[in-house]
Amino acid sequence: MLIRIALKQQTVGVIALALVVAIGGVLNTLAFVQIAGTTPAERAAFAQQMTLLGAQLSYMLPVPVRIDTLAGYLEWRWFGTLVVIFGIWAAISASGSGRGDEERGLVEQWLAAGVGRARYLITRVAVFAAVAIIVIGAMQLSILLSADGEPLAGGDLFAMGFNLLATTLCCYGIALVIAQLVTTRRAAGGIAAGLFIALFLINGAGRTADVGAARWLSPFYLFERSRPLTEGGALDPLGIGALLGAGVVLLAIGVVTFARRDLGGTALPGTSRESRGTRSPSRDPLLRLPVLGPLRQQRIWVAAWLVGFVALSASLISITRTIVDSLTSSEVPFLRAYFERAGLSVYDSFVGVIWLSTATLLLSVYAIIQVASWSADDAEGRLATILSAPVSHTRVILERLATLLVAVGLIAAASSVAVYMVAAGQGITLDGGRVALAATLLLTIPFAFGSIGQFVAASRPRMAVVALSAVAVFSYFVQQFVPLFGWPDWVANLSLYTLYGAPMSGDIKWAGVAGLVGIGSVATAASLVALRRRDVGA
Amino acid sequence: MRAALAMKDLAIETKDLTKDYGNGRGIFDLGLSIAEGEVFGFLGPNGAGKTTTIRLLMGLIHATRGSARIFGLDCDHDAVAVKRKVGYCPGELPQFGGWRGSEVVAYVAGLRGDVKDAAITTLAERLDLDLGRKYREYSHGNKQKLALILAFMHQPELVILDEPTTGLDPLVQQEFYGIVRDARTRGATIFISSHVLSEVEHVCDRVGIVREGHLATVSPLEDLVGMRAFRVEIDFADDVPVDRLKRVEGLDQLVVTDHRATGLLRGTFEPLMAAVAGTRVVGFTSREPSLEEIFLTYYR
Repeated sequence: MLIRIALKQQTVGVIALALVVAIGGVLNTLAFVQIAGTTPAERAAFAQQMTLLGAQLSYMLPVPVRIDTLAGYLEWRWFGTLVVIFGIWAAISASGSGRGDEERGLVEQWLAAGVGRARYLITRVAVFAAVAIIVIGAMQLSILLSADGEPLAGGDLFAMGFNLLATTLCCYGIALVIAQLVTTRRAAGGIAAGLFIALFLINGAGRTADVGAARWLSPFYLFERSRPLTEGGALDPLGIGALLGAGVVLLAIGVVTFARRDLGGTALPGTSRESRGTRSPSRDPLLRLPVLGPLRQQRIWVAAWLVGFVALSASLISITRTIVDSLTSSEVPFLRAYFERAGLSVYDSFVGVIWLSTATLLLSVYAIIQVASWSADDAEGRLATILSAPVSHTRVILERLATLLVAVGLIAAASSVAVYMVAAGQGITLDGGRVALAATLLLTIPFAFGSIGQFVAASRPRMAVVALSAVAVFSYFVQQFVPLFGWPDWVANLSLYTLYGAPMSGDIKWAGVAGLVGIGSVATAASLVALRRRDVGA
Repeated sequence: MRAALAMKDLAIETKDLTKDYGNGRGIFDLGLSIAEGEVFGFLGPNGAGKTTTIRLLMGLIHATRGSARIFGLDCDHDAVAVKRKVGYCPGELPQFGGWRGSEVVAYVAGLRGDVKDAAITTLAERLDLDLGRKYREYSHGNKQKLALILAFMHQPELVILDEPTTGLDPLVQQEFYGIVRDARTRGATIFISSHVLSEVEHVCDRVGIVREGHLATVSPLEDLVGMRAFRVEIDFADDVPVDRLKRVEGLDQLVVTDHRATGLLRGTFEPLMAAVAGTRVVGFTSREPSLEEIFLTYYR
């Protein structure tokens, strides 16, 4: 019964994730066949080009190896990205198992029904592992079926899947331990996600600089040590051993800590139950003001995002000069010309590319998390409380959006200042006006995502996160694959990220910006109608 | 009573109000008229349609047909204007996670804009609620107290309460009844739903009883005295005086097993006490029957 319910809780998410990774696997496989050519000469030229692109993206992706083969391409482009997606999935799932169910009172019910604490959590871990195996298996199968005669050994792919599984379980273990140290799912997921970004950055920095033994702390580094697709199925014994060992130890710590701590409390001593002992309402004037009230209650969350995003932006800009210099020193003349044409050989344009592409992705994730909390407002009775006051549906919709945009505005502004200052420190002169404009235009991304999410949350709250994540994944894939497959512009413009464009690398795409604003406006109007029509809490 | 109602303005008026969830669930053709200043009890077993009715009045859900008006305003189309006049305590308490009680009341007070801090403090003192604690650390009873503060803090003209004493200890329940009486004294109308007759007896002028989505009756409280009943169980040391018990006025559903007699007693206890006088009673318990038991008696 426990297993069945645990599986049922994840059904929609698992199906969505399996579909996304299976489709992603197929698209990457087809993309390689499409762009790498078929003759040895074409493959060699492709490899040269991708190797340089790999150097450009070394802050994000592992250094490519045997990129002239499908195996090398997938190992670099697809699995290098996938491990991050699976890490975030592990963080979300572990914070739900380790804290979310407890918040909703489900754990109390299970324990009252005679289920042991260790059994409860071990079952959740086992179900997650089983689901991960299914998702990874579906993705591997989709790749094998679409390989179209390209040499790709099933055993090697299996080894890569095992490597991915070990990394995912290690990440799950980290997030499970974190969930024992805080009292809310949101805090657990947020801290785990922040830690994973830090560990990801440590590994990224370690590719071009010496970060010492710190790199061993990153599960992404341990994952990267194994190259089973390009090295004949070989798993790095140290890397895979460390992943499995750390995973088992962390999961055991999570289970033991859960068994020993109080329900609703943390494993840390003396962190709860303090009271200020008052009969009076809070005197903080911000709480009583529209927009600022909700924002005040999210202050720690927003501050964490702001600090994390500023650190990420600064770290990306700090390696700009190194990367651009390596690109422009290419010994292949046509590649040098290619990067110059793309504007990637100029420092300020490159800053725009890596900063804004990362910003659009992360700010859309921020919007999705906000939409999740709007859906929870409905399910957990807060929306009914708000609507029991003389507050119109219109105000609810607009205040939510305004709160999102103010928070994102603060994050984008702080990030743009950091980018400008770090770039100046690197001797890179940026056009301050253009940086400010690009940061301002960033607001159109969360506006569009938030409005679409609000519409779904107002219509089908339980579907909101899944639907909006699908929009994000779709937009990402379209943006990535349109240039590879040579699809027409109208297909490219189906991606919200493409509509934003690259405002620091060329002319600003005002039509795209208008498109994002239009999508946001229409979705906002639709969400207003939907919220008015729907029964609250239904 | 009808004449009296007609002479006063109506606080709540529903006509053929229906919310049909299918399979017989919901509320059907509800017609209610509640005068300003009245304290009205809305009684019914679990699942009878009480909360659905209240959510319709609050404009949180939309009627399948019919209408609901509060102080002459349509609950659906004039929802914002209605809520300026209404305080609401939901049956299912919202979750505010890590917010402190003081932050929740300040936030909702900000949404209303017409709340005096002194009123909040007075209510918190009367209900003995520490607003400094985080919401997630509150017991169920303390969450209920906070919901009551949110309902009364702006001194509304109409207070709608969905099973408001759930989780409150007896002392706090008495304080709650005091708050209701005070609100009534200043002219407020009170609408209380409950599934326990004795709960509404303390404060209500009239009671409406709903069952399986339909309004069974609306009566002044005094008319319901006849409905007041107790499930009694008497254990005798010797044989049960069956003949004497059968003659007790108001004692129905008498069942005798060995040395025990059980039955449903309406009215006062005196006839029963007289009937068992002189016998050796070794155990005597009485409890209020559920509404369903009362319905089985009255509306079979």
